[in-house]
Amino acid sequence: MPLLTTSALTAGYGAAPVLREVSWSVAANERWAIIGRNGSGKSTLVKCLASLIAPILGEATIEGRPVAAYAPRERARLISYVPQATGRAIPYTVRDYVMLGRYAWQGLLALPTRDDHSAADKAMKLTDVAAFAERPLTTLSGGEAQRVFLAGAVAQQAKLMLLDEPTSFLDPHHDAMFYQVLERIHAEYEVTVIAVTHDVNAALNRYTHVLALREGSVFFAGNVGQFMAKTPGILEDIYSVKFRRFTSPDDGAVMFAPWMSCAGGLP
Amino acid sequence: MKMRDVTVLIALSVAALAALVITPLMGMRMLSIGSIMADEQTRYIFTSIRVPRTIAAFLAGGGLALCGMVYQALFRNPLADPFTLGISSGASLGAALCIAGGIGGSLIGLSLVSVGAFAGALAAMALVYVFAQLKSGSSTSLLLAGVIVGMLCSSMLMFVYYISPLRYTFQIIRWTMGGVDGATMDAIAVMAPLFAGSLAVVVLLLPKLDQFVTGEDIATTRGVSVARSRNTLLIATSVMIAAVVAVCGPIAFVGIMAPHACRMMLRAPKHTMLAATSFLAGGTFLTLSDTVARSIAPPTEIPVGIITALCGGPFFLWILFRKSHQSYF
Repeated sequence: MPLLTTSALTAGYGAAPVLREVSWSVAANERWAIIGRNGSGKSTLVKCLASLIAPILGEATIEGRPVAAYAPRERARLISYVPQATGRAIPYTVRDYVMLGRYAWQGLLALPTRDDHSAADKAMKLTDVAAFAERPLTTLSGGEAQRVFLAGAVAQQAKLMLLDEPTSFLDPHHDAMFYQVLERIHAEYEVTVIAVTHDVNAALNRYTHVLALREGSVFFAGNVGQFMAKTPGILEDIYSVKFRRFTSPDDGAVMFAPWMSCAGGLP
Repeated sequence: MKMRDVTVLIALSVAALAALVITPLMGMRMLSIGSIMADEQTRYIFTSIRVPRTIAAFLAGGGLALCGMVYQALFRNPLADPFTLGISSGASLGAALCIAGGIGGSLIGLSLVSVGAFAGALAAMALVYVFAQLKSGSSTSLLLAGVIVGMLCSSMLMFVYYISPLRYTFQIIRWTMGGVDGATMDAIAVMAPLFAGSLAVVVLLLPKLDQFVTGEDIATTRGVSVARSRNTLLIATSVMIAAVVAVCGPIAFVGIMAPHACRMMLRAPKHTMLAATSFLAGGTFLTLSDTVARSIAPPTEIPVGIITALCGGPFFLWILFRKSHQSYF
């Protein structure tokens, strides 16, 4: 049984749906990158899965039950979420913030148990933030803060982790570090990952599967190998811009870079 | 828990205790323990005037500080205070209508002006809630509905000012400045269960406030029922603020100064610690302010709201110009 399925999921913010009849399924332990142009419905899809917005039609189910049918704490034990790195100021220390991720496992007064402490400690260690555990989040750099947000989701110990453009504002160093940490988390918890990204190369190198959305509909859903076989043509179809393909002489890794011919503008 | 935070909590507890014990002896007339024991008139001043006043001032200050902290977290806005949603305008309008209508007397130990203020406060909050729900129920729609209801009440209040006889107009203005001078043991006894009940609800929801401050999206995905928690907090704080304002009038700035002062003393506190310290700091501050208000200009006293407002301005100037650029939300 797949961990997550969506059937004819249609959602949006006003009269016109952003997401149209998305039917898709994710098996446990897979790592999906969701790609597509701005406004293609990537974030809307993730927010539907996180129950932050309700679908207009269709539904998303996790472990066979619609996400909306779970009690909030039950759902939080299955699905965690790391929002877009928008530089939100959070007035807590790193340790306190990560401990907040334990909410779904705690009682009414949210008094941390020994389990909560060890989960938080482990999450901070895996994400390399333990060194500044006692510092307020407001004193961290964007890259450090993003790993702390990730640590909060790790402490939540959900089966599915949703990430909305987790590395969009990170420099190459923190970007690489973020993916290294994500790799470590995946190895440790076998967590299923769904991440929105604009970074095509990250999608093809850091994830196992790709979901491409175009104008709110599924344009491609499959593993990275299948996607790779259709490049670079499929990238042009998704983004309406030409891509060049490069192969690294060092290790044969394939990279894509968007470019425009001098003659024409945007197709 | 952090050492510094514990130290701050202990220091504030000691200060609160000291203020509660010492200030009832202070005022236009200094009382001594001996004279309270010996002299019946002095004993009357102490037990029937000074003690209720001190209790009312402490609870009012603590309650306003606590509710201010709740609103700052709910709206992720450091400038929110207990009156942000227009509750003081509703209470003032209720009180003004009673005063202008010449309604005297009392009901179950509470003056009818207080009853009017209490009703006005809760009516205004009910309106805010209904308007916000009709729109989307989000915190933004709550804020907007609060501003709108506040303005509506204020404009009606101006109308009442204008058409009332001068002596009533003065009484209304005096009422809107806020003061603890009207507090009686009876009034405190009536409001105590409401205050205690809403205090208990707020305390139980403090862990949810910690989550709220990280953003509603994160709070939701952590397992918090955001809308339900927000509505419960809104009801509890409305009752608490209405109880305070009915007895003491809308005392300005306590609800915003005390939580900020505590945020500065503490190190990145969570809301349980912040709530405890804010309550103590707000209570102590208003108790001391009321002592100043009743001692500074004998033989009259000045409304305590003037003292708190006079402290509020410089306090924010100091925040504005202070070196650290710590951001709260």
